[in-house]
Amino acid sequence: MRNIAEIYKREIRFYFTSPIAYVVMIIFTAIFGFFFYRSLIYYSELSYQLMQNPYYGQRIDLILGVFGPVFGNNAIIFLMMIPPISMRLIAEEKKSGTIELLFTYPVKDGHIVIGKWLAAATIVAVMLILTLPAPFMAFGFTQSAEWGPVFAGYLGLFLMGISFLSLGILISALSENQIVAIIISYGVLLGFWFLGWVMDPSSGKTIGKVLSELSIIDHLNNFVKGMIDTKDVVYYVLFIFVSLFLSLRVLESKRWRG
Amino acid sequence: MITIEGVTKRYGQTVAVRDISFSVERGEILGFLGPNGAGKTTTMRVITGYFPPTTGNVTVCGHSVLDEPIEVKRRIGYVPENPSMYNDMTTIDYLRFVGAVKGVPKAVLKGRVEDTVDRCALKSVVNRRVGELSRGYRQRVALGQALINDPPVLVLDEPTTGLDPKQIYEIRQLIGSMAGERTVILSTHILPEVSMTCNKVVIINEGRIVAVDSTENIGKGLDQTRSISLVARGPFDKIKRCLASIDGVGGVKQEGESYTVETDKGNDLRPLIAKRVVDEGFELLELSSRAMSLEDVFLKLVTVEEEEKTS
Repeated sequence: MRNIAEIYKREIRFYFTSPIAYVVMIIFTAIFGFFFYRSLIYYSELSYQLMQNPYYGQRIDLILGVFGPVFGNNAIIFLMMIPPISMRLIAEEKKSGTIELLFTYPVKDGHIVIGKWLAAATIVAVMLILTLPAPFMAFGFTQSAEWGPVFAGYLGLFLMGISFLSLGILISALSENQIVAIIISYGVLLGFWFLGWVMDPSSGKTIGKVLSELSIIDHLNNFVKGMIDTKDVVYYVLFIFVSLFLSLRVLESKRWRG
Repeated sequence: MITIEGVTKRYGQTVAVRDISFSVERGEILGFLGPNGAGKTTTMRVITGYFPPTTGNVTVCGHSVLDEPIEVKRRIGYVPENPSMYNDMTTIDYLRFVGAVKGVPKAVLKGRVEDTVDRCALKSVVNRRVGELSRGYRQRVALGQALINDPPVLVLDEPTTGLDPKQIYEIRQLIGSMAGERTVILSTHILPEVSMTCNKVVIINEGRIVAVDSTENIGKGLDQTRSISLVARGPFDKIKRCLASIDGVGGVKQEGESYTVETDKGNDLRPLIAKRVVDEGFELLELSSRAMSLEDVFLKLVTVEEEEKTS
């Protein structure tokens, strides 16, 4: 446990003594803030118009009108912002050679991977925490604050974020070059997203349904609407588990090959 | 203390080391000698558990590197050839980090870091980043990270490469000061380093061990002849003829005024040679007997092996 904690602390310190964490956080919150602002303005205009017609007025709320679109857009911001966090985790140690000493310390490979993963996951968590003023502000305008669905949205984003991260670690373990690692990460993540578009799942064909179930972003949809579905949670947890497991195997096989 | 049994390491098709075996006793300083690319680093990486051997096994303090790598790693301090450390950390933070990762108990970690700073003379750079340090200091930090958990075994891969003479002296002193309390394996391609610091030598060439012995004994087995060098003034060919005519002289080589006379083993011809040279009327300026240096042994072993291979 102490090993994991030490590796975690070192990685966290690295993120915060280098510009990476700050740059990612600033750009992330700026884009998030912009989407949130746009949605809120649009929503307020819409609700003003709908006030004329009381029937429609009951059909929209902050979750569907503001947070749904903001959280949905956030998937794309995460897709862009998380590979820069994950790309260095292992590739950098291989490139600079620091992995040689690390591998001769009495630490299990698994502890190295977990420590690094937890550190990067912390960055993702901090990114999301930085956006919390948004729901507070939005709920400031209404009498009925609905935290449940917002929480579901945040949970979904966090799970998706650390899934991206886990895949990023796997790719970082495969490559020695950080640029290669980030580009492959983008490619694979986009690939997982597009899986849902390959075939219309409503066409009734099994393959279309399977592909859409594998799509990494489709599983966010329920969370965004405020629903926590076990199926989606299981998908992300499995995705993370498989990625980390493969990262470990990659490290081990590189070791055997020398 | 450390046993290496039949270790072979392949990288794909290339064989880096082939079936090597030797052992190191507690408190010994073993010099691991070989030209560049002989397989020194590979062997050291196998011993430290950086990667497992393709075949064979290494045991350190009774723990096999294959079955209990963590136990082995706990007992070894390793300094790689060009130690890459976390350049963004300060010396003190780095030592603290390595100590904690290596499992030094929290209660003693602070004291251990202070001891290491003292021992490796790092006091003046504790708050500097590792990346900003000069080569000599980096090497000492690397030694510090190896010593931080007080391991019984130290593995040093070419610890003096790239240092200036003063730093080389200091590092050797530091290594020498650990003799007896720790077992040290030290690789080098610098021969005097071995005769200066080690009490046992393993010579490796092209992935194979060519000789294992104590530093004093290593030359003896090969020392079939003893050579005597002398400096004399006079006509070259006459002196040469005179030397060659002495009983027991194998061969004479001449370079300017210096001559090297190969004689049979165990037969000290120095008085006889001196007498003859003077008697013949030449001026004898210098006369000395030369035992084979480690360098000679090394070259001989390495070239003999190559001849065997071509024949």
